[in-house]
Amino acid sequence: MLSRRMLSREEEESAGDEKEVRKVDQERINRFSRIHSRHKAVEQELSAKQKEKEDLEEISTELELADEDDKVPYKIGDTFFTLPVPEVQEHLSSSVEKIDTQVSKLEERLGELSEEMSDLKEALYGRFGRSINLEA
Amino acid sequence: MDTTNNTTSNPRGIPSFPFLSNVNEYVKSLSDVEATLTRFQEMVSKYTFMQQNVERRAVGLREKLPEMKRTLEVVRFLRKKRGDTKTAPPSDGLGDEEDEEEDVDEELDSETKGSGEIETTFSLQDTLYAKATIKPAEIDEVYLWLGANVMVAYPLAEADELLQGKLEKAKDSLVAAEEDLEFLRVQITTLEVAIARVHNWDVGEKRKLKSQGLLPAEKDDGEDDGKGKDDKD
Repeated sequence: MLSRRMLSREEEESAGDEKEVRKVDQERINRFSRIHSRHKAVEQELSAKQKEKEDLEEISTELELADEDDKVPYKIGDTFFTLPVPEVQEHLSSSVEKIDTQVSKLEERLGELSEEMSDLKEALYGRFGRSINLEA
Repeated sequence: MDTTNNTTSNPRGIPSFPFLSNVNEYVKSLSDVEATLTRFQEMVSKYTFMQQNVERRAVGLREKLPEMKRTLEVVRFLRKKRGDTKTAPPSDGLGDEEDEEEDVDEELDSETKGSGEIETTFSLQDTLYAKATIKPAEIDEVYLWLGANVMVAYPLAEADELLQGKLEKAKDSLVAAEEDLEFLRVQITTLEVAIARVHNWDVGEKRKLKSQGLLPAEKDDGEDDGKGKDDKD
């Protein structure tokens, strides 16, 4: 649990005695920890959604090559419904739209979180220097 | 003094760890240090245990959510199909696109929509599927599995509502679980910082007392020798 990086004597001396943790500092540290976890979660979600989007786009491309007369089994839920190609394309394009909005929302969130994290890092490193380690 | 504001618990009854600005309020003297550090370590393991539980709960919910969404999708699809086939077959919209290309296709399309039958392949088991033909126009009810070996027939509209409600509740539980996780994270972080501070204070104090020659062990040795010599006289 304790810091895995111990300060050498000189580092400690240069750090000085002013390193008492104030409430403000603790709150910043807590916020950093919270944002970091959220950031990781959003990253995971984003990569999952991007994969989904890729899959959908692949299917759309495949379908464009398919004969319009054909019926294709399209999976809704856990069941495949054999539907005419145009209908499937309709479904696909609405799914793609939905995923697009989700992906851009997630990307926005990610950007905001990263920004806040670097602000907090600056503040905390400024105050504590080598006495604190904020890398994942 | 910051003792008052953090000694509460979060909405679901998890106690919070109070933050104290002055390390001396955690620890009064060198003898307290061991006990305090052990107590803190214990608290960290308790919080970590709670965190694992909540994490497990959240993972379960996250797994169930997609399934619920999929079931809801199917119900909505069936409703749409039923709604479509009850009114005039909507071959017009799509038919127009076909018109520009081949006339034959248009005929075929309206034919298939008119029949209102859909062939489906549904899973009996992960690796086993069965074919079935359904007539969406005649589907008024769906059977929903409620768990505990209970399956109930619901009219489409009610099924839609029920599933939607369940989905919302699951989403809310997930949000609450994630809040709990964040809260626990914060407490654990505060505790870790407190452990570091107490440790640092301990190191600092020991060094200070050593330089003043006031550490218990050294003090006794020095004085005894002196006393011994004086008594002989």
